[in-house]
Amino acid sequence: MAKKLKAVVTLQIEAGKASPAPPIGPALAGHGINLMGFCKEYNARTSSRMGDVIPAEISVYMDGSFTFVLKSPPAGILLKKAAGIPKGSAEPNKIKVGEVTRAQVREIAELKMKDLNANDVEGAMRQIEGTAHNMGIAVKD
Amino acid sequence: MLGFPPPYPLTFTPARIDGAYRASLMKSDKASWLRVTLEVEAELAEAVAEVLSRVISSGIAIESTEIEANAEDEGRAVGPLRVSGYIPVDEELEAKRLKLERGLKALGLIQQVPMPEYSIIEDSNWMEAWKAHYRPLKVGAGLLVLPAWADVETGGRIPIRIDPGMAFGTGVHPTTQLSLALLEKEVRAGASVLDVGCGSGILSIAAAKLGAGKVVGVDIDAKAIENALHNAKLNEVDIRLEAGSLDELRNGAFGIQQADVVVANILATILMRLLAEGLADLVVAGGRLILSGILDEQRAEMLAALEGAQLRMVEERQMGDWLGLLVDRAGNR
Repeated sequence: MAKKLKAVVTLQIEAGKASPAPPIGPALAGHGINLMGFCKEYNARTSSRMGDVIPAEISVYMDGSFTFVLKSPPAGILLKKAAGIPKGSAEPNKIKVGEVTRAQVREIAELKMKDLNANDVEGAMRQIEGTAHNMGIAVKD
Repeated sequence: MLGFPPPYPLTFTPARIDGAYRASLMKSDKASWLRVTLEVEAELAEAVAEVLSRVISSGIAIESTEIEANAEDEGRAVGPLRVSGYIPVDEELEAKRLKLERGLKALGLIQQVPMPEYSIIEDSNWMEAWKAHYRPLKVGAGLLVLPAWADVETGGRIPIRIDPGMAFGTGVHPTTQLSLALLEKEVRAGASVLDVGCGSGILSIAAAKLGAGKVVGVDIDAKAIENALHNAKLNEVDIRLEAGSLDELRNGAFGIQQADVVVANILATILMRLLAEGLADLVVAGGRLILSGILDEQRAEMLAALEGAQLRMVEERQMGDWLGLLVDRAGNR
């Protein structure tokens, strides 16, 4: 099949719990994607990792067909795990709620390297540091 | 760290959701959501998604806004991304919205964040909504491609039912339509047909329904074969579908080494490689090969590949930017 992309939709959703409710329903129905087909397939592939957020990147093609790949968890979730905190700061500019080491940032950057729009690990690290900053997580050397 | 106030104005002016309207939404049988959307540069998308996810537990959608097309492959997403989340309309809506805006404002102190856009989304049957995108499609002189669930009058056309599940070809793409029309022209009763890169199996199914005696569809993707088997069952046709390569096919792994009609609806770059690997050997002397998935701009390159494989053009059809070619082995007719 000669396929041409129509759109790319990334859903940050919980493993094994995809359902036709928002955000999945409205995000996919608008592209004419078989919702049931997606939910079934996603849940089957992620059921062993219940509790984690596992993004699915869905390629929607001009002919209405689609494929999807699973991505690494969002940077924010990996940072919270690394810092050992339940949530980010409500006022990240004033209140730091946790800290991570530069080595941890590098580890996350390497894990997420292929999913980020970065040319090298340093670029990916800057993005991860930026996210940490936005969440009120300090980066220590 | 940037100081306060921020170097640019940042005041959110949310859509007004007044008490009476909210009360009416909450009383309606249908659940409703407040959709929050921000269009941001790609590198800011994850940070914004993180802020949204603090008040939205159902998940975040990040959609592309633009696709850069190119002839070589499927194209790629470029430009800003649209980050959306859905907050249920209930007693906690306003508290969540305020918390969300505080989070965005804080993020805005570090990087520039656009205003969120709000809209009310009423529940609908998402499960069924997508089906509206599929309508029966007349192809060629007498074929009708229709979704598995459609119950329509075929008007004398041969129906081909395709379940566009995790689909590999729904029949609506020009390259598939070109292939179907050429199959319709070439497949005689009792003919043997080989479908190389069969995907959803639509072409194999059509060949069987057009009266072919023996049909074998092969795809390197085992998932495609699963889907094709499902579709074959839907259409009650007796065809052989196998996961495998051109080499295996040529070596007789699937019980057929040559056919009267061979169809390959893939992409020009792959077709050219397969031609170099002996795709044309699958065609019996005097038989025909249907090639589809060729963009107009790839025509010259394709013609050179045909010549290299000692194939001769019999007919050329065009639909939009796409070409479908009917060829035979030079000197055999």
